[in-house]
Amino acid sequence: MAVLSFTLMPEAAAKVHDLLVCLGKFSDTVAIEARRERFTFTALNSSKSAYAALSLDAKQFFTSYECIPSQGSPDGRFTCSMYTKALLSVFKGRLYDPLGRDGAIDHCEVSVQDRPDQTECRFIIKMICNQGVIKTYKLTYEATEVMHALFDRNVAKNRWSMHAAAMKEYIEYFGTKTEMLDIFAGEDGRAVFKSYTEKITNGKEILKHPLVTAVAVNTSDFEEFNVQMGLHIIISVKDFKAIVVHADTLKTSLKAFYSQPTRPLQFSYGCDGLLCEFTLMTSGDYNAAPTPTPAPQMPSRANSRAQSTANERPDMRGGRLEMPPPVEPASRRSTRRRNPGSRKARSPRSAEPDPDSLFIQPDEDDARWEPVDYNNEEETLGWDASAEHGSVAFPTFRDSGTLSRTETEDNNEAIAPTQRVSQVKGLW
Amino acid sequence: MRFKASIQNINTFTKLTASLNSLGPLAWVKLSDEQVCFTIIPEQGTQVWAVLSIDAIFETYTVQSAANNVINLEVPLTSLNRALKSALNATSAQIRLTKKDNQPLLALTIMTTSSSNSYAAFPTTGGNVNEDDLEQIPMDDGLRGNRETIITQEVPVRVLGPDTVAGLHEPQCREPDVHIILPPLMQLKSISDRFTKLALAGAKAGAGVGTSSRTRLEMAANMHGCLKMSIRTDAMSISSVWTDLNNPELDPSQVAGGEIGIAEHPSTRMKQLGSADGRSEEGWAIVRIDGRDWGKVMSVGRLGGRVIACFCHEHALILYVYLPSDNGEDESVLTV
Repeated sequence: MAVLSFTLMPEAAAKVHDLLVCLGKFSDTVAIEARRERFTFTALNSSKSAYAALSLDAKQFFTSYECIPSQGSPDGRFTCSMYTKALLSVFKGRLYDPLGRDGAIDHCEVSVQDRPDQTECRFIIKMICNQGVIKTYKLTYEATEVMHALFDRNVAKNRWSMHAAAMKEYIEYFGTKTEMLDIFAGEDGRAVFKSYTEKITNGKEILKHPLVTAVAVNTSDFEEFNVQMGLHIIISVKDFKAIVVHADTLKTSLKAFYSQPTRPLQFSYGCDGLLCEFTLMTSGDYNAAPTPTPAPQMPSRANSRAQSTANERPDMRGGRLEMPPPVEPASRRSTRRRNPGSRKARSPRSAEPDPDSLFIQPDEDDARWEPVDYNNEEETLGWDASAEHGSVAFPTFRDSGTLSRTETEDNNEAIAPTQRVSQVKGLW
Repeated sequence: MRFKASIQNINTFTKLTASLNSLGPLAWVKLSDEQVCFTIIPEQGTQVWAVLSIDAIFETYTVQSAANNVINLEVPLTSLNRALKSALNATSAQIRLTKKDNQPLLALTIMTTSSSNSYAAFPTTGGNVNEDDLEQIPMDDGLRGNRETIITQEVPVRVLGPDTVAGLHEPQCREPDVHIILPPLMQLKSISDRFTKLALAGAKAGAGVGTSSRTRLEMAANMHGCLKMSIRTDAMSISSVWTDLNNPELDPSQVAGGEIGIAEHPSTRMKQLGSADGRSEEGWAIVRIDGRDWGKVMSVGRLGGRVIACFCHEHALILYVYLPSDNGEDESVLTV
């Protein structure tokens, strides 16, 4: 019995088009989460290595906005998911045209028909065009749980920000078909964006190898550049391009936040009630340049190459892990229940219903076995929506690295059964 | 083996690689002390043998190798073209042959100062550029100055040994019957493209099965400044005729046999035949070429050079493209 209806001016509708184009580059489906104070589009790519959340502010972005979540819903929100393409065929390009040419609209009204007494549940979009033409679209949607990737900016000490237009100029230099982007903070006052492909080819095939492009930018050209010298961080160049192109449509600055390789990176930008946040998987440093990180990090470093090739490696884990959890001592179970670390509130209908599934597959690569570093607060980076918003909790992604750490922090006596003996020795 | 040069004429180089790329994906590049040769020998279609003087594209050029200071490379043109495109606004660009992980590559180092106008629109209200934004541009410039960016592009290449390329020679051809300066290639291309399209549509609408999808453009020229392009299918026959084109005089010093050679040259005989209005049936040297191949060759027009077509009746069409600077000679050989 949720009520959701809002009105968009042509400018805002055009922005919805732009953001859908961007989200379409990440996922076929886009999830919608409506709350009283904001409306959020989220998308998670199939390899779960990139998560996007684009929030529209109820007051600023919309001309009118009303969202009354159904009474039964404990967390005060309406969620659903839809095909990105279906929405894009409604929110076409050129909705906003000051000259009022073909395709331009006067305004756009959206409502959700979500009542048990009605035969159909539909997402209804009315495009009120000039000359009294009204186009009504009724889209089907799917009820879904919307998950959020939480990113703790306090631990992401490395930051930079640059105008998206300048950034867009750089990505245009990149060759087509490249896969990875290495962002490197050089010691000579330059930041290097290098697009490359890891595929190894031989003989004649070598000529088909894509271009390797490195763009070296003076750090003084950034609006802000505060990154540890010599730090390499690698993301997918396709994701980066999608983000930069969208940020450029808003004529705004792109901000990046990250801590270290294998930890998530966040891009953030926005204006006029639209806030875009992309949380991306990163992989180990290219060419294994030394980074002054704590010594116990070494196993992850050694594995950095393997990770960057294996794109699948989920830095962000979906709710469920694939492996049935090993049997767990009862003592540990109680500890975890008592204190979930940085995650304060946990939804009863969590997407991760089994707390035991925090364990890792035994044959996973070594990097997942990051030893605990008690001195490093940075390590408590997590994926949890509840901490930031302070509202009722809802399902979260989590980074298993963090979780195993949380466990051990809680209970030093109990070591996860799958942990390697060698690493245990290294800890104490 | 060493090759290093700064690219002096980025625009020409980019356009050259783009034109070559429409004819084939890989080029054999021969770098020597005197000249740079680009050769494309596709399995079928048009061969290109381009010779450029070094200063047409490079300056401060060094090439060193054990094989008489000649370096032969196999270069993927798409990548090279892409790399050069990023240098279009460059203040300077360098190219050198280097090795990384045992893989030879051409590395381009490009210095650019970014165009500050793309930086103009501030994060503003509404996102639409209004007058306020425009006024902010100069202020922005003053604030940041020129942003200098270094771009390095690495194009993987294959080094060819001297013996690999020893067997490759420019095709020999008999003396042409007619040589003529072509009209502007853009004009020629738009007409030939239309002809080809019509012929293809006609072929599809017709019997369909059995008709070859190759379209044959018939090109003909005489020694009286006429060029005729025609296409014939079962359903139609179209032709365009250009008149008042120029048939350049042969230089006796360049023709085998000097003055006598010219007197006996097939083109001298062709001069006796035909007329300047193009109506005569006589005096035409005719070649038939594939419409699509022709379309690809026409892409060389972007270089804006002077093009001389040499017709060997029922045998071959050779196009010589002379770059505007007159330093280089880009020679396309189209064999039918």
